[in-house]
Amino acid sequence: MVAVTTIRYIRTVGCYALGGPGFLNPVGLTVGPDGVIYVLSRGHLETNENLYLKRVTLCNVEGDFLGEFGTGGNKDGNLMWPSSITMDSDEKIYVSDEALQRVSIFDKKGQFLSKWGTQGKGDGQFDRPAGLAADKDDNILLVDGLNHRVQRYTKDGKFLGGWGSHGTGDGEFNFPWGINLDDAGNVYVADWRNDRIQKFDADGKHLATFGASGSGDGQFNRPTGMAIDRDGTIYVADKSNERLQVLDAEGRFVAKFRGQAEFSKWAQQWFDVSNEDLKAEWDAANLAPDLDPSPNDLLSYESGSNISLFWGPSAVQIDANGNILVLETSRHRIQVYAKG
Amino acid sequence: MPDPKIALMAHLMRRAGFGANRDELERYAAKGYEATVEELLHPENAPPALDDEDLLGRYHAGIYSLMLLPSAQTYYVHRMVHTTRPLEEKLGLFWHGIFATGYTKLNQPKQILRQIDMFRRYGLGSFHTLLIQLAKDPAMIFWLDNKDNHRYEPNENWGRELLELFSMGVGNYTEQDVFEASRAFTGWTMRNANLHTARVAQDSVEPYARLDWQFEYNDEDHDDSDKTFLGHTGNFNGQDIVDIVCRQEATARFLCRHLYNFFVADEPQVPAWETVPPRDPKAIQTMMDTYFQTNYDIRSVLRVMFNSDFFKEAAFQKIKSPAELVAGTVRMAGTDPLPQVNDVAIAAAAGVMGQELLDPPSVEGWHTGVEWLNTGSLVSRINFASNQFVDVEKAGVRAIIDRVKAAKPSSHEELVELCLDFMGPVFVNDKTRSEMIEQAGSAGALDSTEKIVGLFQLIVAAREFQLT
Repeated sequence: MVAVTTIRYIRTVGCYALGGPGFLNPVGLTVGPDGVIYVLSRGHLETNENLYLKRVTLCNVEGDFLGEFGTGGNKDGNLMWPSSITMDSDEKIYVSDEALQRVSIFDKKGQFLSKWGTQGKGDGQFDRPAGLAADKDDNILLVDGLNHRVQRYTKDGKFLGGWGSHGTGDGEFNFPWGINLDDAGNVYVADWRNDRIQKFDADGKHLATFGASGSGDGQFNRPTGMAIDRDGTIYVADKSNERLQVLDAEGRFVAKFRGQAEFSKWAQQWFDVSNEDLKAEWDAANLAPDLDPSPNDLLSYESGSNISLFWGPSAVQIDANGNILVLETSRHRIQVYAKG
Repeated sequence: MPDPKIALMAHLMRRAGFGANRDELERYAAKGYEATVEELLHPENAPPALDDEDLLGRYHAGIYSLMLLPSAQTYYVHRMVHTTRPLEEKLGLFWHGIFATGYTKLNQPKQILRQIDMFRRYGLGSFHTLLIQLAKDPAMIFWLDNKDNHRYEPNENWGRELLELFSMGVGNYTEQDVFEASRAFTGWTMRNANLHTARVAQDSVEPYARLDWQFEYNDEDHDDSDKTFLGHTGNFNGQDIVDIVCRQEATARFLCRHLYNFFVADEPQVPAWETVPPRDPKAIQTMMDTYFQTNYDIRSVLRVMFNSDFFKEAAFQKIKSPAELVAGTVRMAGTDPLPQVNDVAIAAAAGVMGQELLDPPSVEGWHTGVEWLNTGSLVSRINFASNQFVDVEKAGVRAIIDRVKAAKPSSHEELVELCLDFMGPVFVNDKTRSEMIEQAGSAGALDSTEKIVGLFQLIVAAREFQLT
């Protein structure tokens, strides 16, 4: 086992935008075998005039904009409360939607193919589907948020089984969110409201639980997602602690990072187009201020004040080259890190 | 006849909070009136105001960062509906109306919510402390241009409104006092003022969304020469101005009249206060005496006010503000326990009725009382309340229906009385009651759900439901 003591910042990809190069409250991402990153934007309001902001944006780790698809609405292929995105070995894209209570399937160009899912509590039903991940057999693991469990479906939505119930014990969940796998096929679930990560084997047998509520090392405050690299190192989006935590394969704390974003290529383009005067003000400002510690939302306040820091880190994925992609909902971007 | 103890408690909870359902009223009534007032006055002893902030931020991605006004309003109204600390929240709304700071100029809704959070923390303490916190609040500094109030180029906006609208009222100071107060607050600014000003001017959220603001004191930009303010001379800083302001009888009168107007009974609009005396001068004097006896302690003034006869006898003397109507109705009807896609519509309703929360129309705040009502707003108010009471699956609606049925009404008269009782109690005039009885008698079994829900619709459409 390789012991990790540090990761290094590579670059920032993305920025806020209503369309085109940019994201809007992104909540999920997945990476194709060709290195294309698919970023799922939840948007910010469910009013008619804001629905078009919901979308999937295509880019790569160098920060090139490669396209976009999708829009808000209730029709086939539309998005309302999109929550998670994943890809199977045929490069089909799966998007869960917590409002429309379904999984929508697209080809990698964004063409809508099909959908499945029924709201409910029974086998083969779910309520507010959150995290998605394709397992080694190309079945879809789905986090059933309000039923506090994990389910497995075939690619076309046939129910194969599942595990978990509401609670705080091993194998129980409280509003779980993200899900991911390691190379051995073990399953990791961000047990969001229990402030912990649970690890299962491929059949759903509980193997380990990492973390507890808090802001100390190895503790979590509403962890949303995680990714596991080929060495077994676990990278957790510790959302309400506004940080990325790194755990070793046994779940022991290794390191934590608050973020060190810079202006991305798209951000720079935005300044260059017609906003150079604003760039001068940005450059003159002190964007890493010392803050009054009295407010009771200090972490969020720090992240809201300092654009280098993570704000709302919600998902992590690792690409084929080992780049660690940390998606930030509230700063609408990806911070890219690498090991070592 | 409704239980007078329940009726009194309902009055207290409508005024000191956003209403309470019957279970809550019975609990409070068992505890006793003065003990309940004391509980309300000490929100620090209650659990955190919300137990679902994490769920709001999870399902409404826009609420996590509060970047847009509708997201911030949705959060704010949710808090009014669900808070475990009713008076803390109601007082926040009170100060938001007095120290009115608005999105239209600031373009930063989270910063206004942070200001309201400051009101929650300081709104029950010393008025002196509150004014100092207000003077340091970056949203207020931007709103009244104190970032442009410089040593060699004073800007009087904050100094003027501090005296005119926030403490003493017109007629109690001179133009020179405004100038001198403004000089004392030079250097009270915000960090990165140029960047924030440029971004606001261009309505810019690119490239990485909004930034939170911070207070900054710039000693080099502070005018430290002597000032003469309200007859006192010295090398005054902002703190000294607040010291002198808080000692003024005019300040006590102005503050207590505002509290009376908000919590007890509608007064004329503020600009008339210079010439129109208070409707209850004795009540104002009682509150003013407490203000001075307790070193400007707002909690003590409120304690005297809520426990007074003039408060207890003032039920239904006020017209509900849109925020009160929306939050109170939703609180009574009940809500889904989880965030829903259409939550934004609830907060938007207050705006349709004339109260755009976090965006008051001017530095004077909202005009209140009868000015809340016009034909359009009245229709919006009735429709909103009616829609809330249509859905029998809502927990609050269901609970009222169950109570009515459990009481086994034996006549349509009794059925109407029960519905009026459990919906408030709401007191209606004889004509309205007769119409309700006639309507109830038109069709269906005496205790059918449809009939009861039909009566709910009539009750929320009644004139008396618009009053608090």
